[in-house]
Amino acid sequence: MPAWTGRPGVFVLLRHLAALRRSTDLARGAPRSVAIRHVDAGSCNGCEHELGATLGPIYDLQRFGLSITASPRHADILLVTGPVTTRMRDALLVAYSAMPEPRLVAALGNCALGCGLLGDPAEMIGSVEAILPVAVRVPGCPPTPDEIARHLLAGLEEVRAAHVRPTS
Amino acid sequence: MTVPDQQRELLDVSADRWHERIADLLAGGMRFLTLWSDPAERVACALGSGYGTTVVRSTPAPGELQSIVDVAGAAAWDEREIHDRTGVQFAGHVPLRPLVAHPAATADWVTPVSGDDVHQVAVGPIHAGVVESGHFRFHVVGERILHLDLRLFYKHRGLEAAAAGATPDLAARLAQRACAACAVTNSVAVAQAYESAHAGVPDAAVRRARTLLLELERLYNHLNDIGAICSGIGLATGSMAFAELKERAQRVNAELTGHRFLFDTIAVGSSDLDIDASTAAHLRARVAAIGAEAALLWADVGANRSVRARIRGAGILVRDEALRLGACGPAGRASGVNDDARADGGLLWYPGFVGATLNDPSGDVAARIEIRAREITACCAIIEDVLSDPVRPGRVTLSGPAAGPGIAQLESPRGRTVAVVEPDRAVIAGLHLRTGSYANWPALAAACTGAILPDFPLINKSFELCYACVDR
Repeated sequence: MPAWTGRPGVFVLLRHLAALRRSTDLARGAPRSVAIRHVDAGSCNGCEHELGATLGPIYDLQRFGLSITASPRHADILLVTGPVTTRMRDALLVAYSAMPEPRLVAALGNCALGCGLLGDPAEMIGSVEAILPVAVRVPGCPPTPDEIARHLLAGLEEVRAAHVRPTS
Repeated sequence: MTVPDQQRELLDVSADRWHERIADLLAGGMRFLTLWSDPAERVACALGSGYGTTVVRSTPAPGELQSIVDVAGAAAWDEREIHDRTGVQFAGHVPLRPLVAHPAATADWVTPVSGDDVHQVAVGPIHAGVVESGHFRFHVVGERILHLDLRLFYKHRGLEAAAAGATPDLAARLAQRACAACAVTNSVAVAQAYESAHAGVPDAAVRRARTLLLELERLYNHLNDIGAICSGIGLATGSMAFAELKERAQRVNAELTGHRFLFDTIAVGSSDLDIDASTAAHLRARVAAIGAEAALLWADVGANRSVRARIRGAGILVRDEALRLGACGPAGRASGVNDDARADGGLLWYPGFVGATLNDPSGDVAARIEIRAREITACCAIIEDVLSDPVRPGRVTLSGPAAGPGIAQLESPRGRTVAVVEPDRAVIAGLHLRTGSYANWPALAAACTGAILPDFPLINKSFELCYACVDR
């Protein structure tokens, strides 16, 4: 009789299935794809245009296993643009808290890195780093699709390493 | 080329004559441009006739002015914004809902909609794709949209507040950072507004350089927008093909100016752009090729029966509603509002400008995509015309500061953008930017009324308005 019978809840079943998968002799591989949740935390839309271009016919990042996902629940990387306005702070933190471990934060563009030409300091946090741990930094105003592609592919290696490392 | 009529009129009126004076000017054929609160805590209204402007100013007494939305429907958002920023009440604008302010309780900002089966669908501020942040509150029965409440300003960075006390050059750079996709328009608008306050006369080189940069900005934006509408339709081939053309247009930008969005190409009082004859000829050929391919591609995509079935009749904005709400740009022209700031003359290089028009301005998604396709052809022709000669550095001749604010009107890829600069000796005391996107968001909400929820992404893309331009 399967170990999960008699115990309620779908999560118990999922944990059981995960344990079965680990019990095989197949090597546990790091992921070969990365799902990215993008959050605009007050950008000028330049970073969004260029991020969009990396998914277009010329740069085509999907061929490397990188994709944009609609839900933070499915995301490995939280990719943030903009200086984090006070009005986007809470929404950004909610998106981050909804992500499964291991998760990485990437800051895209000079504003997100806290070195852009900004507005009134009272209206913004000033950088992503001030409220979230940033692992991948993509400088530029805005960074070109080439630069975004190179940094995100390096980020893919980070995610692989994070999966291989034991998490606490 | 002659200097256009830059007639500037400044009328200081008492609070009780505010509404009457503005109503008279509108009845006389003037166009509402913008409302703002000036550094002396007056409320000011700019009205336009051709390139000439009239500013009506008044001190609210006590803390109140009569609303002008009954004669200028386009002023609705402006009045809500001024109320949020300064506390000034607009009598007769009921209810005066918050626009910039974000009250916590939904009842404080959401329109009450009631009836059998009416429910709300809340979307954002974070959207599903690579999209700017903003919140939409749909009131629906089943899939039918009864009403759409917009809540923007999540990206408010206080750029206008930061520009107060700044040098004109810094103010133009802050306006440029308001929005990457309208960077040239916004910075030229601020430069021209400052120059206008100093009776500036740009030489031919400055006019040609600025016109070239404005049209290059329009070219990649329109290519982007048609691709985005194809995404909204679900036509991957169209969206990929136009993405490729947009990339080529942005590479022309980078080759010409070193920046894919043409950043830092506009200066106040001068132009540094220097293109020799051989570079101009080479880039001219590339722009011509982009224009020709876009026309062929659109002929193919636009004739596709399933595409036509998807875009015809979707998200209709009728002409009367477009006029009432002050819709402008491609969205206005698609509804038969023939408004184009380029036709007013101005201080640019549009000899004999005739805007693209539609035989059947049906106000639907089909019309908004068709007008852009036609404007791409016209836009490439203007770029090719400027690039048939070398472009040289130039200057704007400035005189002493005149009384009152400087105002500029430009046609951005999304509509009429108005910049107001209040000069104070060497610095800027106040900056106000009302972009084509700001003008058109209420029209987008109107076009969604009666549509079905699954059509919203398509209707939204057919307006393709900036959030960043509005939030500032």
